[in-house]
Amino acid sequence: MDVTLGLLPGIPGAGDGGGGVPPGGSILTKSKNKENNHNMSIEDSSPYPVDDNDDYDDGGDLKLGLGLSIGGGLKTKEESFRILTSQDSPILKPSCSSSSSSSSSSSSSIVGTKRTAIHSVSPPNATSVVGWPPIRKAHRVSILANRNKSELEEFSSRPKTKNITNGHHLTVKVNMDGTLIGRKVDLYAHTSYETLAQTLENMFYGRWSSTEAIGSSRLLDGTSEFVLTYEDKDGDWMLVGDVPWQMFLSSVKRLRIHRNPKMQH
Amino acid sequence: MVYSLPEEVLEHVFSFITSDKDRNVVSVVCKSWYEIERWCRRKVFIGNCYAVSPAIMIRRFPEVRSVELKGKPHFADFNLVPEGWGGYACSWIDEMSRSYPWLEEIRLKRMVITDESLELISTSFKNFRVLVLSSCEGFSTDGLSAIAANCRNLRELDLQESEVMDLSGHWLSHFPDTFTSLESLNMSCLGSEVSFSALERLVAMSPNLKTLRLNRAVPLGKLSTLLQQAPQLVELGTGAYSSGIRSDVYSALSKAFLGCKELKGLSGFWDVDPSYLPAFFSVCSRLTTLNLSYATIRSPDITKVINLCPNLQRLLVLDHIEDSGLNALALSCKNLQELRVFPSDMYVADANVTLTEQGLVSVTQGCPKLQSVLYFCHQMSNSALITIAKNRPNLTCFRLCIIEPRTPDYLTHEPLDIGFGAIVKHCKNLSRLSLSGLLTDRVFEYIGTHAKKLDMLSIAFAGDSDLGLHHVLSGCESLKKLEIRDCPFGDTALLANVAKLATMRSLWMSSCAVSIGACKILSRKMPMLNVEVIDENGTLNPKLDNCLVEKLYVYRTVAGPRSDMPGYIWTMDRDSANKI
Repeated sequence: MDVTLGLLPGIPGAGDGGGGVPPGGSILTKSKNKENNHNMSIEDSSPYPVDDNDDYDDGGDLKLGLGLSIGGGLKTKEESFRILTSQDSPILKPSCSSSSSSSSSSSSSIVGTKRTAIHSVSPPNATSVVGWPPIRKAHRVSILANRNKSELEEFSSRPKTKNITNGHHLTVKVNMDGTLIGRKVDLYAHTSYETLAQTLENMFYGRWSSTEAIGSSRLLDGTSEFVLTYEDKDGDWMLVGDVPWQMFLSSVKRLRIHRNPKMQH
Repeated sequence: MVYSLPEEVLEHVFSFITSDKDRNVVSVVCKSWYEIERWCRRKVFIGNCYAVSPAIMIRRFPEVRSVELKGKPHFADFNLVPEGWGGYACSWIDEMSRSYPWLEEIRLKRMVITDESLELISTSFKNFRVLVLSSCEGFSTDGLSAIAANCRNLRELDLQESEVMDLSGHWLSHFPDTFTSLESLNMSCLGSEVSFSALERLVAMSPNLKTLRLNRAVPLGKLSTLLQQAPQLVELGTGAYSSGIRSDVYSALSKAFLGCKELKGLSGFWDVDPSYLPAFFSVCSRLTTLNLSYATIRSPDITKVINLCPNLQRLLVLDHIEDSGLNALALSCKNLQELRVFPSDMYVADANVTLTEQGLVSVTQGCPKLQSVLYFCHQMSNSALITIAKNRPNLTCFRLCIIEPRTPDYLTHEPLDIGFGAIVKHCKNLSRLSLSGLLTDRVFEYIGTHAKKLDMLSIAFAGDSDLGLHHVLSGCESLKKLEIRDCPFGDTALLANVAKLATMRSLWMSSCAVSIGACKILSRKMPMLNVEVIDENGTLNPKLDNCLVEKLYVYRTVAGPRSDMPGYIWTMDRDSANKI
């Protein structure tokens, strides 16, 4: 059973002040917790020397009768890791009404007209969570200025986009949650989302599971822990797969594989 | 027999007691001590300007020389407090101008102050010396001109991070030719250029100038001129730190820094060109404070600087420092007391920046005097937190921000409850804590049990139920400031702990699960609290008791409900008034 945090939609006065969080996005569910692995020794998994990790086991005196119902249904390791795109389970789609992902008008992404990557909290670069991360204005301004500056520099030094493209290659960065070293992939070497997903799975294979190979890419079905998103020309993060492949190529700047905590079975 | 010391003697003794807390304790010993103390109190600190009124302050302390006021809630720094909320300095300045002719110092934080008030300050207090406006707004350079022109004995003008309407860079020229008392000037927040000749003139006629923080617009080429005029500087904030490829600028700068034998603190460093960094290497061995949080230089350059600063006590830096830089810090800077690491990108981890929890662990291991940490990162683990807690039980301030909300331990995928639990258990003097990552009610159980000296707690996207909030309110004996956002805390915990709220300065709760009904009950039960509900969207229906509130700000006060509330704030009084 998932534990619902935060606010339920439809209750007046219950939103982030002026935050513009979409109705579908304000149900916040907790990611699955490996409750039954709680007593797992920390020393096994961490490089840091720890002697007493049993301070916080379920000693009787500290309990105040709280039944922590952390979400059950653990994701097991046999679960195949697949990249999700927009064609996947409808659970991932926003509950707001029909959207045409190709109709991206203004750069102030209005959620109703764009299908953005679903995440239990706002996707990167989104501004729907007001005041997070907690950075004071002076630093915030500085970060944005530096980002614009570096993009400007890259833009002026390369004729088209940030990506290396000379007509034969369109090489974009690929980053994955939990992985610090990214990869690069040449999108022109692929003809469809299928092959791209397959390549990405191969690239990041070692980081997803310690079990056997997954087999052919199953972008279109199944539920995976991972979601493939891309940053488009406007700087918005979008779910991969909505638009025709060629259109995708013309607007993609970089890719990101998100760990999707909102797993449903 | 009762011996009592004459008043003059007691007064003399009290003059050695400067801390507010001690003064407060002295004043409640007995009636005569209360009387003597109140006549000789010279400094007043008011942490919430709405907790008391100017009249009350002036009535009790008639001979004050220094006043410090704070206005808006802390979360205003992150845009959570709407425009027009309040924090107006006007009534304070007006009444003080009438009653404190000998006032020397005014320090305001997160308040709104107008040019008229600044002008009033400049003409009302003949011996005015110190004006600090920290994160304030509502004034322009015209107000600064008045201060410059009229405050003959001004020693300190500090505009730290305030929003100033920049009407003209000529306000500096308003300092008269006879003005020689300036010791500290911080104008780093100003957006546009100031008149450089006025600045140069000011620096030249201020032999006691110890602190000078320039704004970004002051070009690097001019910095050496200023430094040559003021080699006695102790704290310097540079402007933009690049100038194309100019060897003459470089050598002048390098020579100027060589002459600054007293320099202990450096800041500024916007737009850094790494090739200019060595210009200040000659001062590094004396540096105790270094603020590189606007400098996008990379880890190798940062590391080079750090290795030259063995006396560093305070470092502010971007995550470009990476783990490697933090390892160097742990090795070189054994006197480090405070570390703040800010993110260089707000949401996405830059694949080129390798800053993880390991850097923080290294620093806590290598720096025995480390007390205060502010750390933005993308991943954390319980084992790292436990190690940090054991390495550094002398931590007094621990603020961790894992940028993605509800991020679990990246190794075990568990909540970070036991990690933060270790922090509060081992760091017995912890007075400030900010939580982040995936957290259940359990972490609040640990906090309530162990964090007995905790003064301020910041919570976001954490907890499962009211029990979490209850643990904090019932367990944290020293808690004065609690700010919460996006947590499932609601009526039950709040109403079970109403008495606690009267022992605290303030409580902020936004995007939680508090209902208007509970706010009504709280208001009725606790008349010494102001219960202010912020309803910016206008969607609040006060008649429906189970309607949730957007934002709630509760604070104790002896001044009653405030009279300057904007329309979007609901209170019980307003509600009753409307019904009449």
